[in-house]
Amino acid sequence: MEKSGKSKKRLRAAKALNRIVFEFYQECIQAREEGRPVGWMPPMNGAIEIFYAMGLQPVFPENWSPLCAAFGYTPGNFEVSEGMGYSRDLCGYLRNIVGYVYGLMEQGETPLRLPEPDMLISFGGGCIPAMKIFHVMERRFPQARVFSADLPQVPVEDIQEYHLKYAVSEMHRLIDFLTESTGQEMDYDRLKETVALSDQACALWDEIMTYRKYIPAPFSAAEIGIMFVMVTRQGTQAAVGFLTKVRDEVKERAEAGAGVIGEEKVRLFWDNIPLWYNMGLFNYFEKMGGVVVAETYSAAWSLRLNVDRPIEALALKSLMSYPLVSCVSIEKRKEMVLKACREYSIDGAILHRNKSCVPITLGQMDIKRALEEELDVPSVIIDADHMDDRNFSLAQFQTRVDAFMEMLHEKKGLRY
Amino acid sequence: MSSAYIVPFVEAVKDQTKRLRALSSGGKKVMGYFCTYTPIEIIHASGLLPVRVMGGIGEVKAAYSLTPDFICPYMRLSLERALKGEYDFLSGVVQGYTCDVACGLLNIWKGNFGEKVFHSIPLPYNDNTDSREFFRSAIMELVRKLEVLGGRFSEEALDRSLRLYEEIRGLIISFYEMRYNNRLPLSANELLYIVLSGFVTAPEEYLKMLKGLNKDLRDAKAQMSEDVPVLISGSLIEEPKIFDILEGSGLRVVADDLCTGLRHFHPLAGEGEDPIERLIDRYLHRFPCPARIRANDRASLIMELVRRSSARGVIFAFQKFCTPHLADHPIVSEGLKKEGIPNILIEMEETGVMEGQLRTRLGAFCEMLGE
Repeated sequence: MEKSGKSKKRLRAAKALNRIVFEFYQECIQAREEGRPVGWMPPMNGAIEIFYAMGLQPVFPENWSPLCAAFGYTPGNFEVSEGMGYSRDLCGYLRNIVGYVYGLMEQGETPLRLPEPDMLISFGGGCIPAMKIFHVMERRFPQARVFSADLPQVPVEDIQEYHLKYAVSEMHRLIDFLTESTGQEMDYDRLKETVALSDQACALWDEIMTYRKYIPAPFSAAEIGIMFVMVTRQGTQAAVGFLTKVRDEVKERAEAGAGVIGEEKVRLFWDNIPLWYNMGLFNYFEKMGGVVVAETYSAAWSLRLNVDRPIEALALKSLMSYPLVSCVSIEKRKEMVLKACREYSIDGAILHRNKSCVPITLGQMDIKRALEEELDVPSVIIDADHMDDRNFSLAQFQTRVDAFMEMLHEKKGLRY
Repeated sequence: MSSAYIVPFVEAVKDQTKRLRALSSGGKKVMGYFCTYTPIEIIHASGLLPVRVMGGIGEVKAAYSLTPDFICPYMRLSLERALKGEYDFLSGVVQGYTCDVACGLLNIWKGNFGEKVFHSIPLPYNDNTDSREFFRSAIMELVRKLEVLGGRFSEEALDRSLRLYEEIRGLIISFYEMRYNNRLPLSANELLYIVLSGFVTAPEEYLKMLKGLNKDLRDAKAQMSEDVPVLISGSLIEEPKIFDILEGSGLRVVADDLCTGLRHFHPLAGEGEDPIERLIDRYLHRFPCPARIRANDRASLIMELVRRSSARGVIFAFQKFCTPHLADHPIVSEGLKKEGIPNILIEMEETGVMEGQLRTRLGAFCEMLGE
């Protein structure tokens, strides 16, 4: 097994996904060439639906990072940003995108690439690295018009009317900024349609995840790349079309009892972001009868939207998405993990202690304790990094996972 | 000047646990906070005593089982102290939102220290009518949280608290002014103790201590130092030894951009029609922490301080793994270099700094600045 590697996928949809990824980045470049305004933005907020509803092109530098990892651009990008003085203790997404915009992007020779932004939805909110990425982008692209967004971080369980009211006012301010910058007016009927499509995608996502409760599970975390459409295509027919196909395939597999491997002995939960440069790790459990059937990240996309109140729905989505998967709301996250472990019949949890993501890593130990005390679900800590393979030791991973899997087998009275 | 003048401040820092525990046993509610973006005036006006949670220097043992090792020493050591029971006098922790780690640690405290009040105050990043209205609601939410502990808030009480803290800030800033003009007869180490003691002392008492000191300082004869003037920039410095090493290397701290320094005190007050508006105005115009603003803007603010204090170099002293500072550093450092201001970066670990290595680096830096 290699330190970097691709995962083995079983869904037919995996092939369609490759095309979808390629088309999205083609579309981004084309938008720039055709003069359709391009805006760079952080993921997981309601700005995406507003962009699609106004016919503007969103680009997500954070989503580009996993692609860089898959294409092998990351080490070169790190070299550039570290050469500029960005510490190796900083989040890998930040070091990767900074290195990319000052390195490879300037050379402009890669088959897929990011188009220069006309606008930057620069962030006050989310995590610090996400904010700081955009501050660097403002310097790198001084010609881009900057919208200084403001989205205070509130635990999901504490969201009140006044938080929502402010988030709604920010949504209106964003729309005004986009109109002023591009001349495009918001068509509110189209916004409703966009939000409806987004909601449909969420409903489909939920349904797809529900089929993973089947034993054996019809697909594993190795296929989690399907969330690409949730990040980049929410609010479009493309996302709904793709997810419908995935749903149909997954349903068919689940009902036919088609699992990931011959005999699914141990069902696993994965906490934190995957190692984008080695999605093949998810297959590593398989030779020991283990399948990763649920992840923390997957819950972040199941927020439903009130189509009748589209702006409010997008404001609420913006307020909730980041806290749900981070340390803003450890209590809520713990509840979600415990719920998932119950519903997905989880035998053991893998907690990725991720040097590149402090907000998701903080609170993991409380979650670990709750899993043991409340559900008797054991867990193992894997020290790694979602972007930087220098912070990942394959040998250590294998040693820990082997011992953990052996223990889970014993606990279930299975032969290892 | 004899360091006898700062004895009460040093004692206030050293005796803090004993003193605050006694206060709490006597019925006074003590509320902790991590970051100086926490509106402590609201806590004070509600009748509680705001106290900044400190980490100190030491080894992380118990906190190791609750946090990863790639977060700042301050937060890990604070948790360590809390797990040892050293913060048992707190009725909770409230925290003005700054960085990911402070937010996460607040929630980890919440999950581990039972039925107390733990609350994160969402702060807006922008300054406009809507954000001020939002801020006001967030403040009123804090007031309600404190009421659970018996807090009694009124605008009149807030007005008094604002004036009290303004007077404290005014005195400290006047010491900073003296330092800019090479007229402050205190070492950086001594000034640090003065600042740190303010975090753990009732403001009424602290003001009295500062007034006494102010008189002593005005009466004392300052000796003009010939050492090379530098500015120090970072978040918290809790170890006075750093300043001793620095000032023993031919350097003299003339200005700082620290939250155990100027950032906590500047500006003195805000403007507005009512006390809450004045509070909001001040917090929106804080001398900024990198978690709240762009690196470009900080580079120019630090440059202004450099000019004001005639510093010839800047020393960045960061808590290890501090994302806001590390993420800004390349831009701020480049900005200063463009203006002809050399700078170096040192990182502080849980057990403090590597003394020998630090002396060598600072010695070389001093030599370079002196050329």
